[in-house]
Amino acid sequence: MIRQPNAILGNDRLLVTMGKKGEIFGFYYPGRDFAQHVEESQACIHDGKELIWSNAREWVSDQKYIENTNIVSTEMKNHNGLQMDILDFVHPSLPVLVRKYRITSQRSFNGKFFYYSNLQVGEIKKKNSAFCDYDSGLLAQYWKSHYIGISSDPIFKEWQIGKAMDTIWWTNAKFDMEDGKLQKKHEDIGNLNCAIGWDLNIDVEKPAEFTVFIGAASRRNTLYRKMRQVQKKNFEDIYNETQEKWIKWLSRKKLLELPDYLGFEKFKLEMQMTFNRSLLTLTILNDPGRGSFVAAPEFDHEFEMSGGYGYCWNRDSAEIVTSLLEAGYPEYCSRFFKWCKATQMHDGSWFQRYWLDGNKAPSWGNFSFSTQIDETGSTIFAMDQYYRTLQHPIKDEFLESIWATVLNAAEYLMRRTAEGMHDPCIGLWETHTGVFTYTNAAIYAGLLSAANIAIDYNERGLADRWTERAELIKKTTIDRFWLDDEYFARGITNGQLDTAIDASIIGTFVPFGMLSPEIPKEKEMIKSIMENIEKHLRVPVNDHFGIKRYVDDNYIEGNPWIVTTLWLSKAMLEMASDIDPYDGDTENKEHRKLTHDALKYIQWSLKGRTGAGMLPEQVNKYTGSPAWAIPLSWSCALMMDNILLLDEIQRKLNSSKEMEHTGSSHDIFRLS
Amino acid sequence: MVRDLYMFSRVNKEADVVWFKIAYENTLQSEADITSFFAEKGLDIRFAYLDSSEDPTKGKYVMFTEAEKGRDIDSIAEELENMDVVHSVKWGYSKNRAIQSVDFPLKILGDRAVLIRAKTFVDIINIMNEHVPQSEGLITIIGLRNGAGAARYMQDMAEMNDDNFLDLLGELFMAAGWGKIEYEINVFELSGNVRVIDSFLAEEFGESDVPVCAYMSAFLAGYISECLKKTVQVRESRCKSMGDGVCEHVISPAPSGVKIEHVLRGELH
Repeated sequence: MIRQPNAILGNDRLLVTMGKKGEIFGFYYPGRDFAQHVEESQACIHDGKELIWSNAREWVSDQKYIENTNIVSTEMKNHNGLQMDILDFVHPSLPVLVRKYRITSQRSFNGKFFYYSNLQVGEIKKKNSAFCDYDSGLLAQYWKSHYIGISSDPIFKEWQIGKAMDTIWWTNAKFDMEDGKLQKKHEDIGNLNCAIGWDLNIDVEKPAEFTVFIGAASRRNTLYRKMRQVQKKNFEDIYNETQEKWIKWLSRKKLLELPDYLGFEKFKLEMQMTFNRSLLTLTILNDPGRGSFVAAPEFDHEFEMSGGYGYCWNRDSAEIVTSLLEAGYPEYCSRFFKWCKATQMHDGSWFQRYWLDGNKAPSWGNFSFSTQIDETGSTIFAMDQYYRTLQHPIKDEFLESIWATVLNAAEYLMRRTAEGMHDPCIGLWETHTGVFTYTNAAIYAGLLSAANIAIDYNERGLADRWTERAELIKKTTIDRFWLDDEYFARGITNGQLDTAIDASIIGTFVPFGMLSPEIPKEKEMIKSIMENIEKHLRVPVNDHFGIKRYVDDNYIEGNPWIVTTLWLSKAMLEMASDIDPYDGDTENKEHRKLTHDALKYIQWSLKGRTGAGMLPEQVNKYTGSPAWAIPLSWSCALMMDNILLLDEIQRKLNSSKEMEHTGSSHDIFRLS
Repeated sequence: MVRDLYMFSRVNKEADVVWFKIAYENTLQSEADITSFFAEKGLDIRFAYLDSSEDPTKGKYVMFTEAEKGRDIDSIAEELENMDVVHSVKWGYSKNRAIQSVDFPLKILGDRAVLIRAKTFVDIINIMNEHVPQSEGLITIIGLRNGAGAARYMQDMAEMNDDNFLDLLGELFMAAGWGKIEYEINVFELSGNVRVIDSFLAEEFGESDVPVCAYMSAFLAGYISECLKKTVQVRESRCKSMGDGVCEHVISPAPSGVKIEHVLRGELH
């Protein structure tokens, strides 16, 4: 079943996705991509007559993160006077989810509190086995080397392990809960579900508290050891340790100098919070051991409406690591490029997408004609960006370690661009086959990046050859794809020039720099591309406009995307950053307009977040609510890029001559 | 003439088919007065039904009539609405001369309902059996939930007790077109059986080596368990699809917990 989370939690070893009423949607261990062990896991109250599930419609919920942490607070109120507050976080070092429930009532209440789970350990429902070791206060379910354990504080009083979908339905834990007491079955096999329970006796002045621990391990003994560790420790201590860990991690980030923007109330604070949230999100979508990232936590396991998102695409990850680099976290680059070195294919390219461990993921890009050549260009482009930030001796070590990878990739790009444009392949949106402006730009940037590295490696001949090809690609792309209407065609599809407006053509400027705003003619081209994207791809929702991918996009309703919207605003800010507003009135106006327009798009993107602050891939074009793939790591990276650019613009203004002379800042953003 | 859910009027192809939905005050003469009104106006009633089951003081009279083309129906409806016993009138033309035999939106057991052919229901079950792991378990869960839900609704609507709860179920089965039931039950020992004559599942399924009415067994288990507040299991021992004269569902107490033979699936079929 497709369910979009409202929040995610995690640490180095565990990733959890959660609905807005505290329902667990995904529980990933040991990888962020595999295995997903939970079908359903949530609390439930029995009021003496019937069950009140925590995800029932009657609860009104408010879910948010504790500031600067990956700790989630969910407050839920029921019209019957009950309130259920949940504090959720993953232990700072162990793969254990800690869920503290606090139940209050406006009147005396006597019933039961249950915690129900339908686990599919090892990502399969059949052939599971479960047991309850009551003496150890542990209910465990396992399949092969995957173990999930549930324990609690205080220790649960009753439990049931039953068959989740069988004709002997009276053992089913979900049915068993209905009479308010559990059968205490000790063990079973097959497709199972389970519940643990406590008496729930509340006075107005005396709320009830239960802490549920859900842990994962690859061996039974390890599971026992980990669960004992958390059971022994005081909740407050674990909580404080977790909070401290996240705040400390976040303290390494680049400090932002953002002004107050007139007409954008609370905007500065929101951007700072979203910057932090994006960092905290990306770090738990990353495999710290290998360096790869999932594009989003998987939510479409059966590929019902998409090809799935719980895999690593080089295109996305290249953007993510460069954003993290700019934000002050260079280690994600070094780990990811090590992963790239290990996963590069013999021909020098990278596969469409991978499992985080480097195995090839399910793909519709298994042939040279169905691969996505831009991913190879993006990868070496990002490598060079990282390389340029390094200092001796690390720089030399990196060059030595990465040279063969760069060489192999660049030669692959040379072979696939013999005619001055790339061979037919699949484009970045994975919806069209052909020759693309975007892919040409990625290859252009990849080859120039490889040439930069080659120069340092004393391979001048290779550098010249690669540079020459890059320039040929640029020239051919402009000659063949630049249209009289002043924008780039998407490319060639079905053997014909495809003139559809596609937001990805902005890639010729950002990030790939095939067009430069420093060259007047190219600056006009960039401006015209942006105008055409705005003219043809804007979708009105949430009091402004989001940008959709291309005309006639029909993937998930053809919604506007956060990615394309923030891509356009990033281009606007890059343009603004290149202008000195003190050069004259024309420059000043242009700078103001670009920045203001970018801020409007950033503001629109912020409105598309979930209640807890997660950035999705898309925003529903009718309702304005977050629509798909939540959180999307590429959206997070682009949000960070935008905010970092605003910071850079502000720093430039702060250090301008006017500041030096007058000591006062210019109202450059003050547009009403 | 009956074609699935509607029929086509063929008496006078040159006439318009006009439908009326009349809400009226339920008195001894009100239906007769309304019918007489239509006779006076020369509107032939081709199909009609009355319903005052929800509230005995109010009735609903739905009729399909044939009227000469060009008749001023607006005036007739206005005159009808002015009758003392009539609360409101809705009317319209049935352009394709189709006469619906059920109201829209249809409601059964207090909820929105739709009619589907028995064949469609059996197709759904067959497709589940082919493609869904543990399909019988899934069908069991669906049947249980539906049976328990039906029991809760009937408890609200009728005086239900240990003596009549299966009679009420029999009437529900007949009304829904599922089949006719006969039963024997000992509510203290939770033992007995329910025999379903002309079960729609068995008839549509055709020949089979195993019983095919698992959904009905589960429905009965949910219904009986909810009515008696005790957990029973129901298994089909004979089935018309296997060549038996009737489908027989055996009632027994559910074991407490699960036995090893359940685990090993020795007692599941």
